[in-house]
Amino acid sequence: MKKIIAVAAALLLLPAARAHHSFSATYDSERQLRLKGTVTRIDWVNPHAYLFVNVTDPNGTMTNWAVEFGNPLELERDGWKRTSLRIGDVVAVEGVPARGDRKEAFAKSVVLDRTGQKLFVASAKPRAAAARQPAPRWPDGQIRLGPPPGKKGYWGAASASALVENAGSPIAMDRDGLLKNLADAARVAPFLPWARALYEYRQRTLLKDDPFARCLPPGGPRQFQTANGFQFIEQRELGRILVLLGGGDRNWRAIYTDGRSQGQADEVVRTYYGNSVGHWEKDTLVVDSIGFNERFWMSNGGLPHTEALHLVERFSRPDFNTLKYEVTVDDPRTYTRPWMGGWTIQWVPDEEIQEYFCEENAETTFVR
Amino acid sequence: MQRRALRLAFLLAIAIIGLPALAQQGHPLTGTWSGDWGPAAAQRTTVTFVMNWDGKNVTGLINPGPDSIPLTGIFLDVTTWTVRFEADTKDASGKMVHISAEGKLEDIGSYHRTIKGSWQQGTVKGDFKLTRD
Repeated sequence: MKKIIAVAAALLLLPAARAHHSFSATYDSERQLRLKGTVTRIDWVNPHAYLFVNVTDPNGTMTNWAVEFGNPLELERDGWKRTSLRIGDVVAVEGVPARGDRKEAFAKSVVLDRTGQKLFVASAKPRAAAARQPAPRWPDGQIRLGPPPGKKGYWGAASASALVENAGSPIAMDRDGLLKNLADAARVAPFLPWARALYEYRQRTLLKDDPFARCLPPGGPRQFQTANGFQFIEQRELGRILVLLGGGDRNWRAIYTDGRSQGQADEVVRTYYGNSVGHWEKDTLVVDSIGFNERFWMSNGGLPHTEALHLVERFSRPDFNTLKYEVTVDDPRTYTRPWMGGWTIQWVPDEEIQEYFCEENAETTFVR
Repeated sequence: MQRRALRLAFLLAIAIIGLPALAQQGHPLTGTWSGDWGPAAAQRTTVTFVMNWDGKNVTGLINPGPDSIPLTGIFLDVTTWTVRFEADTKDASGKMVHISAEGKLEDIGSYHRTIKGSWQQGTVKGDFKLTRD
């Protein structure tokens, strides 16, 4: 019975695994670390690849370190493979240690001792951009949100790391939406006092409670900011558009364009992506969504919301390579007034969204 | 017996692992809270709070059901994350008794956030702890 309880207790620790973590919450950029040791294990899994290294200190004590060294999909795009490194290789790692006393680090460089080769370096060759051309259209003239017939591609990186109100000068923040200056919080959105206090708490605690870091879906505008992009599947004959997400836990959202009316907010089943109905206004897809649950952060950086959240999103494609995303946030229980934000997203030509299951690491990497 | 215990442990683990998936990330007080209050560790009374933020006020009640007690005031100070509750109930003799409790919201980003503090019911003083379900 004790063994069974021990197994159950071990399972309980799993949610704490940082499957897709906030960098700032996990690593201490103020410190540097150098390690040299023998590779004991390689986890070539999404969203973060890890190598494990036995490091012996001057006293002869051996410690096993977990070293994160990149996203396997990006590494493979740059020509690296799992076999670029082998168990038993000796490597020198320079990087940033984890916060606290965990034996974990993020590698800035990994050098193979026997050859001196620097491994897992990003390719200097820029990713090929699609040639400048107008946005593709359906035979009836309507803009296509996906690739033209016979072509591949998907929407990749967003131009902004977090949703902020379209007003005033840019707000400095890192890729996780962590403000460089917490005093800028008031400029991010017109928060009600409780919402601003909660947003600031999330910022001060380095986004440690982010549900997305536990592989929960990135509902709201955040779905268009996650790593590994997204794709629109326009099922015109079914009157719907599916948004397939390459990041997060790889789920999807349906936008109904069959002319149905929006449901009553009190009656819809509350979900991460809400109940979305869309229509075209000339070349812009306008999507109205209600029925969100409160289990996600709607943007990197920790913007709060309530079940009263109502989003109106506008998608347009001014040219082949660019998707313009604008959103109006209306949640009178969280914000003093409706407000708008948005960003652009770049087309990744001639590639498919690759497999990227957030759950992978939660199950494998941190069970040591 | 072994198989039954294993199944029980598995279900327990799954149930608890599932909790983060139910984490409510909106207004920190919204939801159902369970806990107890009392003047001493050996004298505890179980309580359940149900609260909801409507955009202007937090409303709620204690012990939902036929004997529920409406919360007449719920005041959250977000600068310190302290919360004060006011309510009126009747004692065993039917006499009106005022409840006043004040506590601090802790670990607010977590699904298992808590409110801990002092509780006064009539002339009886004690402490309380609530954990969000």
